[in-house]
This record gives sequence, C-alpha cells and structure tokens, in this order.
Amino acid sequence: MEYTWASVVACVIVIGVELLWLKTGLFKKLTFYVSWAIILFFMVLVDGWLTKLSAPIVLYNEEESSGIRFPWDIPVEDYLFGFALLTLTMLLWDHWAQRHPDDAASRRTTGPLIRRR
Amino acid sequence: MDVDRFQYLIVMGLCLLITLPLEFLFGARVWRRPRRLVAAMAIPVAIFVTWDIIAISRDHWDFNPRYVTGWRLPFNLPVEEMTFFIVIPICALLTLEAVRRVLDRD
Repeated sequence: MEYTWASVVACVIVIGVELLWLKTGLFKKLTFYVSWAIILFFMVLVDGWLTKLSAPIVLYNEEESSGIRFPWDIPVEDYLFGFALLTLTMLLWDHWAQRHPDDAASRRTTGPLIRRR
Repeated sequence: MDVDRFQYLIVMGLCLLITLPLEFLFGARVWRRPRRLVAAMAIPVAIFVTWDIIAISRDHWDFNPRYVTGWRLPFNLPVEEMTFFIVIPICALLTLEAVRRVLDRD
C-alpha cells in the first residue's frame, strides 16, 4: 500500500504548502475548479489508455496500491498523484507571476479573450 | 520498425498537439513565458521524477516493454516518464491560463 499512502501524503503536503507558505489564493478562485474539471476529463482519457488492463502501458503492483480502479482500469491513487503534481505546478506558476511583471503586463495589454460590455 | 514501442511517446505527443490551440486560439500564453514556465516546473519535476525513480526501484509500477522504447535515462528512468513529467504539467498550465482568459478572472 506504499503508493496509496505516498499519494495521500503528497496531496496533504501540497495543500499545506499553499495554505501555510505560498498563499497564492488559487484555491479560492473559480478558475482553479473549472480548470480541474477539464483536466480531470482528459486525465481519465489519457490515464485510462495508459492503464487499461487489456493492453497496459504502465503495470501496477497491486500489493503497493489499494487495487481499486475507476473508471475502467485507472488506479484511484493516480488521481491523487496527478492532483499533487499538477496543483503544485499551478501554485508555483502563480507564485512566480510576481517575479515576472513583464508577463503580467503582456496579459493586460492583450486583454481578455471575451470582452465584457 | 515496431510502432507499438512508441505508443507511450505518441500519447504524450498527442497531448502536446491537442493543447496547442489553447496557446494560440485561447491566448493562454504559457509557451510564450518560458522563464516563468521553467521556474514553475523545476521543483515539481525534480520531486516527482525522484518519486518515480523510487517507485520503480521499489516495484510500485513498471512499464510494458511492448509499448515503450526501452530507452532509459540515469537511475533507470524511462525516457517516456521524463516526457510525461514535462508534457502533462504544461498541458495543465495551458488549461489553467485558457480558463483564466475565457472567464476573464484571476
């Protein structure tokens, strides 16, 4: 069950890093949750392909995971692994925005994709 | 040449291809901010590649020789896994920034 525990701990650490240290505020933003809904959809497609037991690309040792796979043959731990990896990357991406004011400026000048009236 | 051996790499290539319009049609501006991209990805790549190397050595998971090239980096890390840890976070950031532009919010 090492993969199970490691993936749970990783998520707790990433959430803790944001709340106690980075404080980017990403968890309070609608953007984060809409993005994750989209990412989750594509994660199921890609990871579903990588883990399908009929022709697996990645082979899991069931002794080190819970053995619970959903949907198709995706080990549930993969969602925790993915959450920790991608959320940490997003948090640091927002964190480093302050160090790159030119990036922020370029966004302001290009403006929103859909203009509000 | 056996195309099946490139299956994992092809999946990663498709991920890059399918997210490319987010940069150029939705104005995500992730590829066009390379310094910030490297700054954001350096620590997660280091942590999760280390996790992957340990997990492979402890037999948490392995790779089907039929669908990978067999090319290995130092510490027995498959080239495909390194590709994964670079490609997938970029796809996620493209999604985040595209959503941000569409919602016109921070």
